[in-house]
Amino acid sequence: MRKPRRGSYWTSRGYLLRFLLPSMIVLFVIVIVPMVFLWYVSLTNYDLGKGWDQRHFAGLSNFLMLFKGEDRDFWPAVLTTLIFLACTVTLEFIIGLAVAMLFNRTIAGKAVWMAFLIIPLTITPAVIGLMWKLMYNTEYGVLNFLLNFINLKINWLGPRSALLSIIMVDVWQWTPFVALMLYAGLQAISTEPYESAVVDGASSLQIFRFITLPLLRPMIVVAVLLRSIDALRIFDTVYVLTKGGPGNITELLSLHIYRVGFEHTGWIGRSSAVAIVLLIMATIITTIFMRVVNITRPAAIANRIEENTSGFGSAA
Amino acid sequence: MASEARHRRRIRFLKRVGLYAGLVVVVVGFAFPFYWMLTTSIKTRIETINPAKWIFSPTLENLVFVFTKRNFLMYLKNSLLTVASTTLLSLVLALPAAYAFARFRFKGKENLAFTVLSLRMLPAMCVVLPYFLLGRFIGILDTSLILIIVYMSFNIPFAIWMLRGFIEDIPIEIEEAAWLDGCTLTRSLFKLIIPLIGPGVAATAIFIVIQSWNEFALALFLTSFQARTLPTMSTMFLSVTGIVWGEMASVGVLTTLPVLVFSLIIQKYMIRGLTFGAIKG
Repeated sequence: MRKPRRGSYWTSRGYLLRFLLPSMIVLFVIVIVPMVFLWYVSLTNYDLGKGWDQRHFAGLSNFLMLFKGEDRDFWPAVLTTLIFLACTVTLEFIIGLAVAMLFNRTIAGKAVWMAFLIIPLTITPAVIGLMWKLMYNTEYGVLNFLLNFINLKINWLGPRSALLSIIMVDVWQWTPFVALMLYAGLQAISTEPYESAVVDGASSLQIFRFITLPLLRPMIVVAVLLRSIDALRIFDTVYVLTKGGPGNITELLSLHIYRVGFEHTGWIGRSSAVAIVLLIMATIITTIFMRVVNITRPAAIANRIEENTSGFGSAA
Repeated sequence: MASEARHRRRIRFLKRVGLYAGLVVVVVGFAFPFYWMLTTSIKTRIETINPAKWIFSPTLENLVFVFTKRNFLMYLKNSLLTVASTTLLSLVLALPAAYAFARFRFKGKENLAFTVLSLRMLPAMCVVLPYFLLGRFIGILDTSLILIIVYMSFNIPFAIWMLRGFIEDIPIEIEEAAWLDGCTLTRSLFKLIIPLIGPGVAATAIFIVIQSWNEFALALFLTSFQARTLPTMSTMFLSVTGIVWGEMASVGVLTTLPVLVFSLIIQKYMIRGLTFGAIKG
C-alpha cells in the first residue's frame, strides 16, 4: 500500500483496517457470540439431563424465580458475595497501605524484601487453595498447631469460620497487589508538599490525612475497583477450599452458578440467569473502573517519560 | 546536652529495629504458606500429619509418586501445548491492534479500546456456560483447542492494552522522521517499533503465560480427561478424608515453580501487568 497523500499514515483507513480488523473479528467470534448465546440460554429452561431440542423459551421466568426467592440459595449467595467483597477490599486496602508505607523508607536490600510480595500474586490460585487447605486442617494443620500454644483450636473450614477463612486467603493473596500499587503511588509523590507541611508544623497524622491520602487517591481508587471486580470473579480458591460449603456458607455467586449448572442438577437455563446477574454486577464496576482510567490516562501519557524513569522496578 | 543526643540516637536506632522487624513480619506472613507447602512436599507420609515436625530429613518419594502414579507428564504436556499456543496466537493478533490503538486516529477509538478491555473483566463462570454448550455442539470439549480459544478471549484484550502502553511510550516523532527518509509504515513498524518494545513484548508474553498456566475454572469444566491441565490436578485432593498431603504439596510445588521464576523476571512490570497497562508504576 502506498503512503497516503499529505502527511500521515495515522488517518489511513486501509492501514487501520488491516491492523485492527483481524483481532476484532476474532474477539467478536470468540467472546461476543458466546455472550449473546449466554443471554439466549438464560431465557430458556434448558436442562443438561434432557436434549437440546427439549428446551423451551421460558421468557424471564428464570430471573423471576431468582428474584422471588424460589431459588432459596440465590439471595444468600448475593449477600455472601457482597460481604466477601466488602471485607476483602477493606482489609486489603488497610493492610496494603500499611505495608506500602513500611516499604516507603530507606531499606537495605529493598528489592529482595519486595520480591517476597510477588509470591502470593503469581502462584496458581487453585494451588493457593491446596496450600491453605493444608494449613487449615483441624487436626494436622500448622495453624491449629501454632494456636495450640495459646490453647485455641479453630475448625477453620467449619460452618462458623469458613467464610472468614476464605476471606483470609483472599487477603493473603491480594494484599501485596494493593501494597505494590500504593507503594508506586507513594514513590511518585514529590517531597515538596511534605517539606512545606513540616515547616508549617503539621503533625505526622495531619500530614497523612491531608497530604498523603489525597495524593494517593487515584491509585487507591484504581486498586479498590480492580479488587472489587476480582472479588466478584473469584472461583478457584473457594472451589478448592470449600466448594461453597459447608451448606451454603461460602457459596458466592460464581459458586452458585457452578452448583445449579454443573453439580447434581444441570439446570443450565437457570444457572445462566445467575451468570447474567453476576455479569451485570461485574459490568457495573468495570464501567466505573474504565471511567476512572479514561480520566487518568491522558495525564499518564503526558507524563510517560517521567514515569518511565521512576516506579517500583528502578526505585527498588 | 550529650545525653539528649544519645537519647535521640537511641530512638533512631529503635525506629530502624522496628522497621526491619515489621519487614520480617510482612515477609514471613506472605512467604510462610509457600514455605510450608514446599517442606510438606519433601516430608514422609507420617511427617506430613505431624505439624510439630519442623526439622526432618527430606525425601523425594512424593515427587516421584506424582510423576509415576499421578500421570503428571500428561498434564504438563497439555499445559505446555495450551499455554504456548495461546501466547503465540494472542501476541500475533494483539500486536497490530495495539499499534492501531496507540498511533492511528479514528472515530470512537477510546470507546472501542474500553470495550475490548471490558472483555478481559468477564467472570470465568459466566464464560464457562456458553463455552460448555457451544463446545459440546461442535464437539471440541476436552480438547486443547477449546482451552486455547477461550484463553485467547481474555488474553488478546490484555495484550492489546499492555502493548498499546509500551508503544505509546515511544515518541511518535521517531517514526515520522523515518517516513521523511522514505520508510513505509510497515517497515517502520517492523524495523523500528517492534525492536524498541522488545522487552515490553517479552513481559506481555510472560504475563499471558502466567495467566493461562494458572487458569483453573475453565479448564475444569471444559475438559474431562484428555486435555486436562496442571491446575486441575488439585481436584484429586478435594475429599477431606485420606488426603495424601505430601503428594498434594508436590503437585502444588511443581505447578507453581515455573510461574514463580517467570514472575521474578517481570517483577519490574508487575503493577503494569496487573492493571492492564493502566498504571505504569
